[in-house]
Amino acid sequence: MQQPTPQPTPQPTENATKYAWTVPPDRTRVIGTSVPRVDGPDKVSGRAKYTYDIARPGMLHARAVRSPHPHARIVSIDFSAAKAAPGVRGVLTWKDPGTEVMYQGDVVAAVAADTEPQARDAARLVRVEYEVLPFFSSEAAAMQPDAPVVFPNGNTQAGQTQETGDLAAGFAAAAHTLEATYSTHVITHVCLESHCSVCEWNGDQLTAWVSTQGVHASKQQIAGALKIDQANVRVICQYMGGGFGSKVTADAPIIIPARMSKDLGAPVKMVLDRKEEHLDSGNRPSAFARVRAGVSADGMLTAFDGVTWGTGGAGQGANFPLPYIYQFPNRRRAHTNVYINTGLQRPMRAPGHPQGCFVTEMLLDELADLVGLDPLELRLKNLPPTAPDAMWAEYYRMGAKQFGWDRRHPTGDRNPGPIKTGMGVSANQWGGGGRAGAAHVRIQPDGSVLVQCGSQDLGTGTRTLLPVIAGETLGAPLDAIRAEIGDSNLPFAGVSGGSTATPGIAPAIRIASGRARDALFARVASALDAAPEELAAGDGRIFVKAAPERSLAWRAACKLLGQEPITADGQWEPGFSSVNTSGVQFAEVTVDTETGIVKVTRILAIQDCGLVLDRLLAESQVYGGVIGSLNFALFEDRTLDPRTGVMLNPNMEHYLLAGMTDVPQIDVVLMDMPERGVIGIGEPPTVSTASAIANAVRNALGVPIRSLPLHPHRVLAAIDAHTNSGGGPA
Amino acid sequence: MKAFAYVNPSNESDALAALRSGGIVRPLGGGQDLLARLKDYLDEPDRLVSVKGALNREAAATGDGGLRIGAAMRLFEVAEHPEILKRYPALAEAASTVGSPQIRHQGTVGGNLNQRPRCWYFRQEEFVCFKKGGNRCFAADGENQYHSIFGNDGPSKIVHPSSLAVPLVAYGARFRLASASGEREVAAADYFTLPSMQTVQKENVLADDELLTHVILPAPGNVRSGHYEVRFKESRDWPMAFATVVLAMNGPSIDSARVVLGAVAPVPWRAEDAERVLRGRLLDDAAADVAGEAAVRGAKPLAQNAYKIRITRTAVKRAVLAAAGRSV
Repeated sequence: MQQPTPQPTPQPTENATKYAWTVPPDRTRVIGTSVPRVDGPDKVSGRAKYTYDIARPGMLHARAVRSPHPHARIVSIDFSAAKAAPGVRGVLTWKDPGTEVMYQGDVVAAVAADTEPQARDAARLVRVEYEVLPFFSSEAAAMQPDAPVVFPNGNTQAGQTQETGDLAAGFAAAAHTLEATYSTHVITHVCLESHCSVCEWNGDQLTAWVSTQGVHASKQQIAGALKIDQANVRVICQYMGGGFGSKVTADAPIIIPARMSKDLGAPVKMVLDRKEEHLDSGNRPSAFARVRAGVSADGMLTAFDGVTWGTGGAGQGANFPLPYIYQFPNRRRAHTNVYINTGLQRPMRAPGHPQGCFVTEMLLDELADLVGLDPLELRLKNLPPTAPDAMWAEYYRMGAKQFGWDRRHPTGDRNPGPIKTGMGVSANQWGGGGRAGAAHVRIQPDGSVLVQCGSQDLGTGTRTLLPVIAGETLGAPLDAIRAEIGDSNLPFAGVSGGSTATPGIAPAIRIASGRARDALFARVASALDAAPEELAAGDGRIFVKAAPERSLAWRAACKLLGQEPITADGQWEPGFSSVNTSGVQFAEVTVDTETGIVKVTRILAIQDCGLVLDRLLAESQVYGGVIGSLNFALFEDRTLDPRTGVMLNPNMEHYLLAGMTDVPQIDVVLMDMPERGVIGIGEPPTVSTASAIANAVRNALGVPIRSLPLHPHRVLAAIDAHTNSGGGPA
Repeated sequence: MKAFAYVNPSNESDALAALRSGGIVRPLGGGQDLLARLKDYLDEPDRLVSVKGALNREAAATGDGGLRIGAAMRLFEVAEHPEILKRYPALAEAASTVGSPQIRHQGTVGGNLNQRPRCWYFRQEEFVCFKKGGNRCFAADGENQYHSIFGNDGPSKIVHPSSLAVPLVAYGARFRLASASGEREVAAADYFTLPSMQTVQKENVLADDELLTHVILPAPGNVRSGHYEVRFKESRDWPMAFATVVLAMNGPSIDSARVVLGAVAPVPWRAEDAERVLRGRLLDDAAADVAGEAAVRGAKPLAQNAYKIRITRTAVKRAVLAAAGRSV
């Protein structure tokens, strides 16, 4: 993809002062309160229509034909039996004979039929002849020196070694050094709503209902893929069941129905099933780190030397930040991407951070024991200087008090009995921020308000932010405000990803609302015998600042508009949003040493995200992030059969995910920083739960388990290895 | 999914007749396993015979103090039935942890006993294993962390998936099997079959034209029973290993014992060594320990499931403790 020219950083305008988030004390705030999701009732009652629910007259159903092999050359594709099957209307070749499929689930072709079951049956009748080729089902296999060349540009790709400081001096200054290998595994996004779309043409105009994290981005990508004008594409996504980074690319599940719909002259729907979703909708890359690290006698980190590798599947990278947050003055890092024959990685909630966090935080607990320091003490000594975007030290101290860290026992629970308890901590950081957003606000003479923004709500609650911000700014009652999002015909907004959606659109909504409010003041000021600049709005009224009893109810004020509504636009400007967040998490676990089963009993998450717009939504982001990370630590594990490269658990049965009863008490402390503006909170809370849990397990057992997931058999193996090496009973 | 005919008989004899109507016919209970197999193209019957309305759904006292449970009884009903809770508590407990509330409301006793294995090779279409007419068991030298540690000398390394089968064998239940030609009774312990090359495509003795219509539990006598499931996830998951113990008591000491293991073998697995060591002992902590040790004697782990020996030992130990009225 061609990189866009970087845009110059715009300067703050007078809007930054005029519409600053700070609110005079003469009215009640909406922002920062707990406003329930405006579409909650629609979602729980089934009225909300997801892409999966879209049905168009005469709609056909497409189904992909996918490779059963991890690596093969397509020799021929025979559609004759499929074309003759009941209900089949058309077929499509996605990959031509002679080209290669690189993983199980790689798309080869597609069929479209009257019903989804017919399409499924017909897809199985497409006869594809393959020449099966060598493949890798593990990083270790791909890294063998005598491995066959499976990837033409090399099975591995080594990056530049990065070095800072004086490594030799760092190790010389160390009182203790530790060498260990840490690793995290591949997991998939497991969106509850699988990837799906419905495409319908009207002449040269394409309307696509897509489960996407970016309606505008999808529009541009679809137009590019089909070589048509962007102006001829409209993408709609009103409700969606999660994306987590996997729904930012317009790929086969969108382009296939778009092409087949054009060819067949009928709307075409394509919905992936759970197996396809696991195989070919993205994943979080694995991470391996062989680390040598040094610490001084008083607990100062002195040196870090890391050799790392990982796989993002059949041709994608797997880099991650390391060391994470804590300061090693002398450090070296060499990373190699390893390619294996599995589906390609896609950004997954805080890409790279959970991996780097795990390696670093596990290492720190082990170093703390070498020095004989409490792990929290060691962390406090080695954090970057405290700053508004680097508040870990304060949060750690605060969290220790709230969580009862003083009740933590040293490494290894000495209590008799099979059930051991432990505590762990971990920190996170994320950039966030966003600059892509535009909004349109319309005040109708009847007092109803329309707020439009071409963002989308992937489940985070974005839709609710529109009335929260507009209601705060206009002073209008929330139930008078209608929010429209999820349509590329609405003003531009960026992708909902990387914690950028809210900081991208919130300033635009604020400015558009502020301009609309000022226009309303200008039109109603004479009725209040005041100048427009003497007016204020809040709590459903327009009033004179100096004499609040001189006021108009919201609807009465709007009535003065006569027939002409007020319209105003806004787009992102500096001064309303910021970047960089910090947070910490505490975990408490029990480990059953007779079964290897880890249960998480408590999580405390302390998180900042700048200005908190809606407390309920922000807390909900933290809950979701914590649960996702708990799944990463304990349950999820993409398992491949090593002999065939076939995934063994492409389902929600053997691919484990926490149920309600597996989710612990989660306490969330949101650190509101209104002076920093909006930042975004999607990524950071999911970074550190897994490492806090893993360190809590180590604290319980006295045994480090340096790789995830913490499945019972791996916990028991670690206990056994420790016992057999003379470590004594855990 | 292959199109199939659907038959919805209202009584047992019509259901049995329908099983003989030609082609591949499958009885359909709650459908929690069968329908998923159809959708995954693992089974392609010509005809489904719904037995939910045809088979008995009650639990009724028998003349000799036992209980007769209709195969159409739902799992949640087993879990909540006062007589079962009182006299066969391990059975009620096993039923109460199956799957999820939705599955327990759909799933039937007959379906739980006759469901096919959950082996992840069996469940993936790509692997044509012995059970699907192929010529190998992929788990034997593959990813076998969830497979058998007992009874695995035969061609297939599966574990039997039924939760109810284990307490039923422990309580000495019998199954009534009926076909259009007649009926027979089989001890639960004899119903499930270890795989041989001849029988590997099935897990039990039920003929294609037969239905398991009733579970018949004998009078429990003076017993204490305990049940323990080692579960990683607390819902929507399969136990990694579990055990039911039924102890015939003589005052404070154990007269005789039945110890049956689940999720460790292709059948509910009688741990006869454990039964032997419990005989004549006081029901105490030491009994739990020795029973656990004895239960795993002779286990033959595969490459990746030696850990199951430990958790099986734990399951037996905790089941004995549960029988003594103690928790971990």
